[in-house]
Amino acid sequence: MAKVKYPNPKFFRYKDNMDWKAQGENLKEVLDISMGMIKKTDWKKFFGRQKDLLKDDAARVAREFKEIMAMSTEEKLDLLKYGEKKLGLLYRKGDMTTVRREFRGLADTAYDFKEWLRMWGMLLMTFSKDLVPALNATFHYRWMMSYMCCVGFMDKNTMGQRGSALKMSHLMIYDIFRYVAENLVLLAKGDKKNGNSSELNKKVVLFDEMTMGQIMAGFPDLVGIPYQLMPVFLVSEIDQLTCVPYIDAVESFGLPADTCPVPSSECGALVIDALPHMGSCFISSSMPCDGSTMASSYMQRRFPELPVYHLTFPVRYEYEETVEDGKNDILGCIKFVEEITGAKWSWDAYFAAMKRFNEETAYELQKWEVNKTAYPQIIGPCYELFRKWNYEMDGGADPRVIPTFKKVNDIMMKAYERKEEPWVGKMKYRGIVWSCPAHYYANFSNWLANCWGVDILVEMESLNFTKPLETEDKDEALMDLARLYERMVMRRHTNGGYQNVVDELWRQCEAWNVEIIIMYQNVACKNMATLQGILDDQCRDKGYHMIWIEHDLMDPRTVSRKTMRDKVNEYMRTVMKAEPVDPTLCDFDDDICL
Amino acid sequence: MKDLKHLIYFENLLENPDNELVEQAKAEGGLAVGYTCFHIPEVLLNVDKCFSVRLRAPRTGSIDIATYYMSNYTCEFARALLERGIEGGYQFLDGLAGVDACSMMNRFYEHFEILKLNDKENFFVTHTDMPYKVEDFTLRAYKKQMEIRLLGVMKEKLGVDVSEEAIRKAVEEHNRVCAIISEIAEMRKADNPVITGYEFHILNLVTYTCPKRLILPYLEETLEELKSRKPDKTPRFRARVAIVGSEMDDPDFTKLIEEQGALVVSDRYCFGSTPGREVIELNDDEPALDQICRHYMEVSECARYISDEKVQQRRNTADRLAKEYKADGIIYEQMKFCDFWGFERALVSYVMSTEMGWPVLSIDRPYNAKASGQLRTRFQAFVESLEIKKIQKAQKNGGIN
Repeated sequence: MAKVKYPNPKFFRYKDNMDWKAQGENLKEVLDISMGMIKKTDWKKFFGRQKDLLKDDAARVAREFKEIMAMSTEEKLDLLKYGEKKLGLLYRKGDMTTVRREFRGLADTAYDFKEWLRMWGMLLMTFSKDLVPALNATFHYRWMMSYMCCVGFMDKNTMGQRGSALKMSHLMIYDIFRYVAENLVLLAKGDKKNGNSSELNKKVVLFDEMTMGQIMAGFPDLVGIPYQLMPVFLVSEIDQLTCVPYIDAVESFGLPADTCPVPSSECGALVIDALPHMGSCFISSSMPCDGSTMASSYMQRRFPELPVYHLTFPVRYEYEETVEDGKNDILGCIKFVEEITGAKWSWDAYFAAMKRFNEETAYELQKWEVNKTAYPQIIGPCYELFRKWNYEMDGGADPRVIPTFKKVNDIMMKAYERKEEPWVGKMKYRGIVWSCPAHYYANFSNWLANCWGVDILVEMESLNFTKPLETEDKDEALMDLARLYERMVMRRHTNGGYQNVVDELWRQCEAWNVEIIIMYQNVACKNMATLQGILDDQCRDKGYHMIWIEHDLMDPRTVSRKTMRDKVNEYMRTVMKAEPVDPTLCDFDDDICL
Repeated sequence: MKDLKHLIYFENLLENPDNELVEQAKAEGGLAVGYTCFHIPEVLLNVDKCFSVRLRAPRTGSIDIATYYMSNYTCEFARALLERGIEGGYQFLDGLAGVDACSMMNRFYEHFEILKLNDKENFFVTHTDMPYKVEDFTLRAYKKQMEIRLLGVMKEKLGVDVSEEAIRKAVEEHNRVCAIISEIAEMRKADNPVITGYEFHILNLVTYTCPKRLILPYLEETLEELKSRKPDKTPRFRARVAIVGSEMDDPDFTKLIEEQGALVVSDRYCFGSTPGREVIELNDDEPALDQICRHYMEVSECARYISDEKVQQRRNTADRLAKEYKADGIIYEQMKFCDFWGFERALVSYVMSTEMGWPVLSIDRPYNAKASGQLRTRFQAFVESLEIKKIQKAQKNGGIN
C-alpha cells in the first residue's frame, strides 16, 4: 500500500466558497460590538488600572532582585539550576494570566523557550494551510479566541516541571496541539458560515466528541472530526470560563441544572449557535453516560438535514454475549458512512492504524510500569491529556505520533535509570486520581505536586483497554473494536457495574502503591455520586487517605478552583499534619485566570 | 359520583409493597420478583409460580441513609427504594429483576447486592442490558438478555418453569388485566367520564403491584360497576390534562392536580397505562419470547431510546393521546435528577408548545409530590391559563358573550 500523508493534504486544499457579503455583514456586526465596547469602556479607570499594574510590576521586579541579591551563592546556583520555587507569586488577583513566565533554571528555561517557539511555528504553519477561514472563525465564534491562549495552557500544565519531565511534557502536548490546530482549520474551512467548502464537507464525518475515533481509521479518504471537542470540550480546559455561556443558555431553555456539564454545554453550544454547520453526517453516541445519550436529540433538532447514526453500545460490557451487539452496531455505522459518503471501508488502512495503536498501547504500558516503581517519571497534566487524546481521538490514525512515543520512552527510561525527580524536591506522597477531573482545572495535579508534593501517578481515565486489538481476523477485529469502544474513557469505569469503579480502585491503589486518593466528585455525575457511601465505607476499611474534591466539571462558578484547593489544604493540614512544599501556592486568586 | 366499591381496598393495597394480596400469594407458594423498569417485560416475571411486583416505596419519609450511600442529588425514587430496602421493606422478595438502563436505578440494584438487603438463600439480583434503539440486532440482543439474564436466572435460582407454554400462559393472564384497564381507560375519553384520574391511577397501580391472579376478580367487578356508574351532572373539573413523563407511582400527584380543578385523562408515564396495559397479541408462528420482546421495544416510550424514529414516536404519542382523550393541555413531568427526562422534558415541552400548539406545563418533582406547595401553585396557574384559553376560544366562536 502506498504511503499516505496524514492528514491527507487534499483536505486543506479543497476550494472554499466563502460568501463574502455575509462575511462583510458579520464583520460589520463584530465591529459594531467592538465600537460599543470601546465607547462604554471607562478609559480613565482602565488606564488607572494599567498604571497600578505597572507599579506593581516594578515593585515585584525590585522585590525579586532584592531576594536574589540576598541569596547565598549556593542558593543562587540552585536557582540557576532548578529555577524558582515560589510559584504562587506568579498569580495576581484579577489577572487572566500569570505576571510573567516561570523561571525554570537556565537550561530548562532555554529549552522551554525553544519549545515555545516550536509550538508557535507549528501553529502558524498549520493555520497558514488555509489562513483566511481560520482567522475569520475568530469573528464568528468566541471559543476560537480562547485558543489564542493555548501556549499559556502549555505553560500552566508544565509549571514546576524540570529536566526530563519537562521535555516529555512538551513532546506530548505538541502532538495534541498539532491535532487541534489541524482540526480548527478544517472546522473553519467546512463551516457553512465561513469557508463553506462543499468539497471538504463531502469528506467530513462528524463524531460526537465522546465517541472514539478508531472507526475512521478504516476510511482513509475521509476525515472524522470529534464535533464538539474543539468548540466545547478541549477549550474548556484552556479557558475555564468558555462553557459558562453555553450552560446558561441551555438552562434558560429549561434544562435542569443538575445534568452533567458536558452534554449541557454541548446542547448550550447548539442553542447559541456556537458550533460550525458542516459535514456529511453525524455519529451520535450513548457514551459515556445517560446525559450524553440525550444530547443527540438536541443535535438532531439543530441540524435536521444532517443524517445521524446513533452508535449505542451495550452498557453491561463485561457480559460476553453483548459483544456481538456492539459488533453489529459498528457494522451498521460503517455501512451508514459508506452510504452517505460513497467511501469504502478499507481493512488494510484499518489494520495498519490498529497496529500502530497496539504499539502505542505497549509504550503506554511501559509508562505504567515505570510509574509503579519508587521512581515514577512521567506524571503531570500533559501526560494525562496525551493519554486520553491518544486513546480516544488519535487511536493510531496519525503515523506522526509513534515517533513521539519512542522519544518519550527513551527519555523516560534514561530518567528512570538516573532516578530523576519529575518535580524536583517535591516527591512526597504517591497519589491516584479517581473519577473525572474538572475541565476548568486541568492542571490540578500539577498544583498538588507543586504545593503539597502529592504526585499523581495515574488517573482513572487513563486506565482503559490495553488488550492488543486484532489486526488479521476481520470478524474478531470488529469484536475487539466493540470491546474497545465499550471501554472508552470514563465509561470503562462508571458503566457496566460498580465493580469496575469501586473494586477496581482498590486494585489499582495496591498496584501503584498509593497512599492518597484524590476522589473527584463532579457534582452532576450520577454514576459516581450513587457510589459515594460505598466508596467511603470501603476506603475507611482499607485505610487510604481519600480526599473528596467537589467540582462542576465545566462550570467554575459552582465550585471554584480555590475551593478545590482549599479541600486539599484542609486535609493535608488537619489530617496529614503536613507542611506545604510551596506555601505561596496555598492561597492565591485565579478566579478569572485562564 | 358514587364511590367505587373497592377504592379504599385498592388504596390500602398501595400502602405497602408487601400488601395483603402479595402476602396471600406468598402463602400459597408464590414467588415474588421485584422490578422497577418497563424494559423488563412484566409478563416474564409472571411465569409459573412467580408473580411480579413493581417496586414502590409508599409513605416514604426520611431517606437519609440512602442519601449517605447515593448522595443527595440523585433520583429520589432510587433513593427511596434503597432506604426501604435498608429498612427491610423488601424482605418478602425472592428476586430482583434489574435493568442497566438508567445509572441511578442500576445503583439501587447494586446496593441491594453490596449491602445484602435480602437474606433469602436463593435470592437473586440480576442485571440486564437494554437496547437504545429498535433494530433487528438489538431485538436479538434484548431477547438474549431476557433468556440468559432473566429467565435463565429465575430458572436456576427459583427452579421455575420458563418454557414457551409457561410464558404463553402468563401472557394470557396479563392480557386479561390489560383488557380490563384498557376498557376502563376508554371511558376517560367521554366528555364527562365516569372515572377520575385519581381513581384510574389507583386502579392501574394495583395491577402493577399485586399478583395478577388475585387482583383480577376485583378489577372485573370494578369494570362492571363503572359501566353502570353515573357521572356527576355538573363536572367539577375546569380543564382536562394529559400527563407525560418519567416514573410516577404516586397517586397523590394526580390527586394534587385534580384538586386544582384539572381532570387527568391520560397517563403517558412510566408505571402508567400507555404504554403498559396494551394487550400482547401472540401468534403461533414465532416463539412467544421474540414477540414479547418486540412488543415491549415497539411500544416503549422511554426517553432512553435515542433513535430519531423513537424520538418522534414519543412526540406523536403525546400528541395523539392528548387529542384522543380531549385534553386541553399537557403536563410534562420528570422525577427530579432524572437525566433522561431532564433533557427530554426541556426540549419536547418546547416542541409540543411551539410546533404542536399544546399548552404545556413543564415541571420536575420530588418522589412524593403531595406536600409540594410549589407544585400546587403551578398546577393552579396552569389550570387557570387553560380555563382562560377555553373562555377566549369560546368567545371567539361566539359561544360566550
